[in-house]
Amino acid sequence: MKSLLLAVAVMFLTFGFRDQNETITVKGSDTMVILAQRWAEVYMSKHPEVSIQVTGGGSGTGIAALINGTTDICDASRPMKKSEREKLKQRFNTLGVEIKSAKDGLALYVNEANPVQELTLAQIKDIYTGKATNWKAFGGPDAKIILYSRENNSGTYVYFKDNVLEGEDFSAAAQNMPGTAAVVNAVAKDKFGVGYGGAAYGKGIKFLKVKQDASSKAYEPTAESVKSGDYPITRFLFMYTRSKPTGALKEYIDWIISNEGQDIVTKVGYFPVK
Amino acid sequence: MKAIHVLFILLLLAAWPVVLRAQEDGDTTKAKGGQAVEELKGQVDGMNETLIEMKNTLDALKKVKISGYIQAQYQSADTAAAKSFAGGDFPANVRSRFMVRRGRLKVNYDNDLTQYVLQIDVTQNGIGIKDAYASIRDPWIRTGVFTAGIFDRPFGFEISYSSSSRETPERSRMFQTLFPGEREVGAKLELNAETGLWSTLNLKAGLFNGVLNNANENDRNKDFIGRLGIALPFEEQNLAVDGGISLYDGKVTTNSKFVYDINPASPAKAYRIDSSASNVGNSYGRVYVGGDMQVYYDLPVIGGFSLRGEYITGTQPGSSASNSFYNPGATVTPIYLRKMAGWYVNLVQNVGVQNQFIAKYDVYDPNTDLDGSQIGAPGTSHTAGDVKFSTLGLGWIYHWDANVKFVLYYDMVRNEKVNAAASGALAPFRADLRDDVMTVRMQYKF
Repeated sequence: MKSLLLAVAVMFLTFGFRDQNETITVKGSDTMVILAQRWAEVYMSKHPEVSIQVTGGGSGTGIAALINGTTDICDASRPMKKSEREKLKQRFNTLGVEIKSAKDGLALYVNEANPVQELTLAQIKDIYTGKATNWKAFGGPDAKIILYSRENNSGTYVYFKDNVLEGEDFSAAAQNMPGTAAVVNAVAKDKFGVGYGGAAYGKGIKFLKVKQDASSKAYEPTAESVKSGDYPITRFLFMYTRSKPTGALKEYIDWIISNEGQDIVTKVGYFPVK
Repeated sequence: MKAIHVLFILLLLAAWPVVLRAQEDGDTTKAKGGQAVEELKGQVDGMNETLIEMKNTLDALKKVKISGYIQAQYQSADTAAAKSFAGGDFPANVRSRFMVRRGRLKVNYDNDLTQYVLQIDVTQNGIGIKDAYASIRDPWIRTGVFTAGIFDRPFGFEISYSSSSRETPERSRMFQTLFPGEREVGAKLELNAETGLWSTLNLKAGLFNGVLNNANENDRNKDFIGRLGIALPFEEQNLAVDGGISLYDGKVTTNSKFVYDINPASPAKAYRIDSSASNVGNSYGRVYVGGDMQVYYDLPVIGGFSLRGEYITGTQPGSSASNSFYNPGATVTPIYLRKMAGWYVNLVQNVGVQNQFIAKYDVYDPNTDLDGSQIGAPGTSHTAGDVKFSTLGLGWIYHWDANVKFVLYYDMVRNEKVNAAASGALAPFRADLRDDVMTVRMQYKF
């Protein structure tokens, strides 16, 4: 049996150490996909020897890819869950490395024709849990509120549910859109629509001002309000790697959190972490 | 009036009918265009309705998750008919074999706060039920989960570590002996906060029949099983330390009047027999206490490694030749009360993304009152169920892609050498049995 064991071991080692792919793959958050693509384009133009492939699919999809070993970097618009870290521990014996790559004000979108200007967090919760269903209650027209939301593999969906709805379920009337661009597009065409998503996507729609409660000042998601924390729905945008990054991966991540990488964050419409 | 003006008026008059017709044509085109837009709008609205309908169906279907895995393997043992914990004993005259070790299909309907799970196992030996349970999560703080049905016993670490994720092909000998099939019929409560101070702690506890996952309750007792765990992540250091303590507090009921245990007064540690007729129907403790610890650390450049260990000790009521728990069924079977202990240490080192090296050492001593040299001495009535085993396993895993992995694993099994005077079924244990096993496995998981 020893010769058989040796033969199989040699076969394993031959397979096991075949050439590894040098390309950096990035997968995850749709909120971050434009930013991630811009980072990759600029970095590759300056480092032609590096190839970076960026795809979206949602934070949940990206984290799953990190766990099953099919991406090097996972972009996520929410922190990894405990259960996801457990899976990473099971497969790779690591907790994963979290890198804060940008800040985002999670914006509330309404149609430009909608006269409503601001909402409190409690009002947003009432709207999205289905307790408030008419714009009239918020100074708008006597019309039904049309809710646009995201799929549950979206980090934005999870963040919004955990932090704005305080864990409560979305109204059954909410229409789940495949990406932030689809939410913006739907709201831009729907006079009575409301949606939520990254501040960088706010083209063709109007941002609602958001305030902590009725007695607070309302803020739009601007660089100042997000940086100061005055805007009530502020979150980090994360990148995750399985292990402490080394080599080309480390150089790329270091560049992203450098001033040059953070300038791109601002240009795309998000806010730098520093 | 100039001649040119007259000419222009004449041309205009001549062209008037054409202009009128063109205007009519324009109006018709506009009307047709408007009609087409309306039709298109109707079609888009119709498609939207269809899409919303389909989306509702799709959303419902998304709650159903189907997963599974197949483990096909080739094994070669040192000798034919080798007794083995590496996937079961080798049949007579068989030294090597192909087999489907596990062929799982799991259906999970996850309705957020409630869950339905059914898992079957299909192999060359037939179909068996692995999991069949329903669970409810508390809707208030989403920390408590109540589960009822057939599911993993909440004891230690290795039981609940899925066979598809576990690096070694099989669980350690002590778990296979103490918790055959890993699962049981019962109900449990689990507390596990996602965030906050209490998120580092988790508690699982429940009551079970204390038999097997595919058998009915056979006595009046319910067995308590529980584990209190802690998980301490040190993210800055890329280090995690998890652990827990577990308790199995159950009873078995004998259908025989013969009760054996080791006589502490006997120099040879012989079994003594209590044969009172009133023993029939008595219950005897099946009590295990365990502790487990797992350390995870991310080694720079090479990859993550984990070091896991567990120790269990307690009282195991078994039968003459078997140190598995006492479960007599219809046959009248004398009961043997043994103090047992077992432990294992398991090292897993990731090498890059696709490779893992594994080393595991496990020990199971089914009768801690006895040393090897005492087992089988004349007049002791010891059996093969008293012999201690240790196993050193070394292996390599290659992850082909996200679905497929190959495992090469070699189990080196050592038994304690019994007394030179041992005879009968104990005689082979005077030397180390030739029962090492090599396993080459391919797993597909989805």
